[in-house]
Amino acid sequence: MNAQTWKDRLGSLHYGQMLLYAIIAWFVITFLILPNLNVYYEIFFRDGSFSLEPVEKLISSKRAMNSLKNSFILAVSLMITVNVVGIMLVLLTEYFDIKGARVLKLGYFTTLLYHGVVVSASYKFAYGENGIVTKLLAGLFPDMNREWFHGYWAVLFVMTFACTSNHLLFLGNAIRKIDYQTVEAARGMGAGPFTILWRVVLPVLKPTIFALTILTFLTGLGAMSAPLILGGTEFQTIAPMILTFSKSSTSKDLAALLALVLGLATIILLTIMIRIEKRGNYMSVSKVKSTLVKQKIHNRFANAAVHFIGYALFLIYVTPVALIVLFSFTDARSISTSTITWNSFTLENYARLFTSMSALRPYLVSVIYAAAASLLVVALALFASRIIHKYKNSRLAMALEYALMIPWMLPSTLIAIGLVLTFNVPRLIVGNTVLTGTHWIVILGYIIIHIPFTMRMVKASFFSLDHNLEDAARNMGARPFYTFRKVLLPIVLPSTLAVLALNFIKILDDYDLTVFLYHPVYQTLGVVIKNSTDVEAGIIARAMTLVYTVVLMIMSGITMYLVYGRGAKDR
Amino acid sequence: MSGKMKALAILMLVCLVLTACGGGNGGNGGNAGNGGSVSGENGGNGGNAGDAGDGGEVKNEKLIVYTNSNSDGRGEWWIEQARQAGFDIEIVGAGGADLTNRLIAEKNNPIADVVFGLNHMFFENLKKEGVITPYVPSWASQVGENLNDPEGYYHGLVKQAIMIGYNADVYTPETAPKSWQDLYTNEAFKGKYEAPTMLGRATMQMVVAGILMPYMDENGELGIAEEGWNELKKLYDNGLPMVEGEDLYANMAAGKVHIGTVVSGEKFKREQEYGVNVGVVAPEQGVPMVVEHIAIVNGTKKMDTAKRFIDWFGSAEMQGKFAAEFSAMPVIPEAAQQAPDHIKELFAKLKAQPLDWSFIAEHIDEWAEKIELQIIN
Repeated sequence: MNAQTWKDRLGSLHYGQMLLYAIIAWFVITFLILPNLNVYYEIFFRDGSFSLEPVEKLISSKRAMNSLKNSFILAVSLMITVNVVGIMLVLLTEYFDIKGARVLKLGYFTTLLYHGVVVSASYKFAYGENGIVTKLLAGLFPDMNREWFHGYWAVLFVMTFACTSNHLLFLGNAIRKIDYQTVEAARGMGAGPFTILWRVVLPVLKPTIFALTILTFLTGLGAMSAPLILGGTEFQTIAPMILTFSKSSTSKDLAALLALVLGLATIILLTIMIRIEKRGNYMSVSKVKSTLVKQKIHNRFANAAVHFIGYALFLIYVTPVALIVLFSFTDARSISTSTITWNSFTLENYARLFTSMSALRPYLVSVIYAAAASLLVVALALFASRIIHKYKNSRLAMALEYALMIPWMLPSTLIAIGLVLTFNVPRLIVGNTVLTGTHWIVILGYIIIHIPFTMRMVKASFFSLDHNLEDAARNMGARPFYTFRKVLLPIVLPSTLAVLALNFIKILDDYDLTVFLYHPVYQTLGVVIKNSTDVEAGIIARAMTLVYTVVLMIMSGITMYLVYGRGAKDR
Repeated sequence: MSGKMKALAILMLVCLVLTACGGGNGGNGGNAGNGGSVSGENGGNGGNAGDAGDGGEVKNEKLIVYTNSNSDGRGEWWIEQARQAGFDIEIVGAGGADLTNRLIAEKNNPIADVVFGLNHMFFENLKKEGVITPYVPSWASQVGENLNDPEGYYHGLVKQAIMIGYNADVYTPETAPKSWQDLYTNEAFKGKYEAPTMLGRATMQMVVAGILMPYMDENGELGIAEEGWNELKKLYDNGLPMVEGEDLYANMAAGKVHIGTVVSGEKFKREQEYGVNVGVVAPEQGVPMVVEHIAIVNGTKKMDTAKRFIDWFGSAEMQGKFAAEFSAMPVIPEAAQQAPDHIKELFAKLKAQPLDWSFIAEHIDEWAEKIELQIIN
């Protein structure tokens, strides 16, 4: 090692970097550890001593244990089904040569436009007892039970298709990074299409699939609206119970405990995945990559089958969205009974939107909060991933990685309460100021709950990086920040932008966290929507729910196009 | 790529600038321009400002008002009325439990100045946590007996009756259930009514409290005799669970369920909206009557305005106006006169079930927990 590199090494630990590490450490201690410990303390030690009573209470409850079991069943099932469907979608849109792939892709991407309660409600429009699919089926089989769409299978069906957004975005990014030369080389050596897929393509996708699997598992564990709406009495999950208990004055300990169980399960899975991840080497070997060329399927039967699957999936994806838009133009009675006649159509809902939402302010407030929070959380995740990636085997890096998973250990209600509780008195650690009631606490809240997801996805793209690129940059004398900016960032950027857009969309209409944090003068979109769509708010609210969903779909669509759609074309 | 980075940088900059501007606006919160989204639609009311001459001389401080009863246009109505009377208010609306949690979490540095609409149980909780401060409004003495907090922390506005409602096209007063006990013991109603499973809602908690009340027993579990828990078990075993996103009135209109819990304040409006005709049961032992209250938040920096606001808000005149507009039942008899006839008739035939509020407030969350864990299947 010559003197020049030593100088660079020392230079690399300059003040900027030290400051950055200090900031991350401060952030983790102040906003992830302090408020959440505070909330645990309040919950478990308020009466002076810790007792195992909550554990006993839960274990002796048949309903709680059943719900918990169902949550795990759902999580494990989804790990399989979402991966199967998600990988299929990515292969259909990015790998195989399918006629009309662009249109199909748009259809598959519709899951990005809406989330939450509306998803299950829209599937009910299609498959519920008065839904159009049910009516079609009943026309074919008059004896069928029209109330067929409930329980485990209905929940699994809806969630499988609703949770593939991440696969499309991140797996799509990953598959585009495959070096086509490796595919051709494999074919040259006589490998069949299936072998190529299994031995060449899939291994490159593994880090992303691991990350997505963990996220899917967590989504399954936390499933709330789908089981509530479609689960019926036979398939209820634990998340609704956690929500109810987290709002009660005496049962918060049970909510925290249950969330802890779910969080720990996720972290155990994560630890296993990290182990596997460390063992493998997932970069493609070639240094001069050539772009993937879409594969024609030569077997005519297989080709027809793949096309059929592609279009069937398209229908499944598009139907609920189309129904939301359609029903948003009908009166409330049609919506609550899922039936449409010619007289049902009305423009009144949209007229009401323009009078009740004439103020631009909530849109503006939400867009600003969402933009600020999603940018900051992505920046944080980038630097944190960089540290974890660089110091892979250091204990501090490990500690950082796990500390950033803390938000998975508590329901968002309790995270919000923890923040308000901790920062409603001046704290030295935040400059002796009060944060409660300021813009900061709202932005911090959004950042905190989106950290684990952002970390997983950003980190996954870091781990598919090629070390040699970094080494090469360094050997040519590039400083660390320059290397990061010019060499590493462009490679992880597609996934990073996708995360950015997803976070932005989710924050736009957030209610569960916002309701505890927002300043009354700055109402967000989520709060305004909830106020005018609350189920207890009567019949108009039902119609307005759909109208707002359409508005949010448009906003989400624009966001995806600006941040992601155009970016994809650039490459 | 560098173009994209630039775009990101610009976006961030714009965000910061906008945030900063927004912050500037917040400082002079008294501005009329700050009416926020809800009051925006009432922009054409400038002419009324002159009428409210009595409000002109005092400082126009913006009050932050927390409430759980702002839906169905009530929040907008109050903002407009307040403006005409010279008050500038911003309403934060959320469910009773969320609101209570938020108030307790904020108690060291409160954002709210006034809170109204919550029932006894929530206010008892707030009082215990030191969130509210005593203030006896000018109209307190007009309120019916035993409805205000004896220690002067919170005072009554309107009452809501929590009743069994049935689809009057399906049941007649003769065939309808006579009481909750009749509902869950009579085979004819088995699987035909909605059980109060959503215990996050204050209404459902009241149903449970009403059923458990006769079984108060110091030695029983959570203050309730074994028998009481058995009754409750029957209630849940024989009823249908409530489904998220579904509504009793909609279910009646769709012919799915015909019996469930209804609240007096919204019954009339929902009947019209869904085109159903709902009968209510008036059992001999009475029905739970919930009183919505108002109080000043402890630590408000606008104490004088808050006091004036409460004096105006709860007055017989304003509550009467509100009752006429939203079919409510004020607790001040003079204001109750203004309520629509159908509401007056309804309350005339109902008897209030005697309930021990402090006992209920003390135990209701534990009861809800026990029901969630052990009683509901």
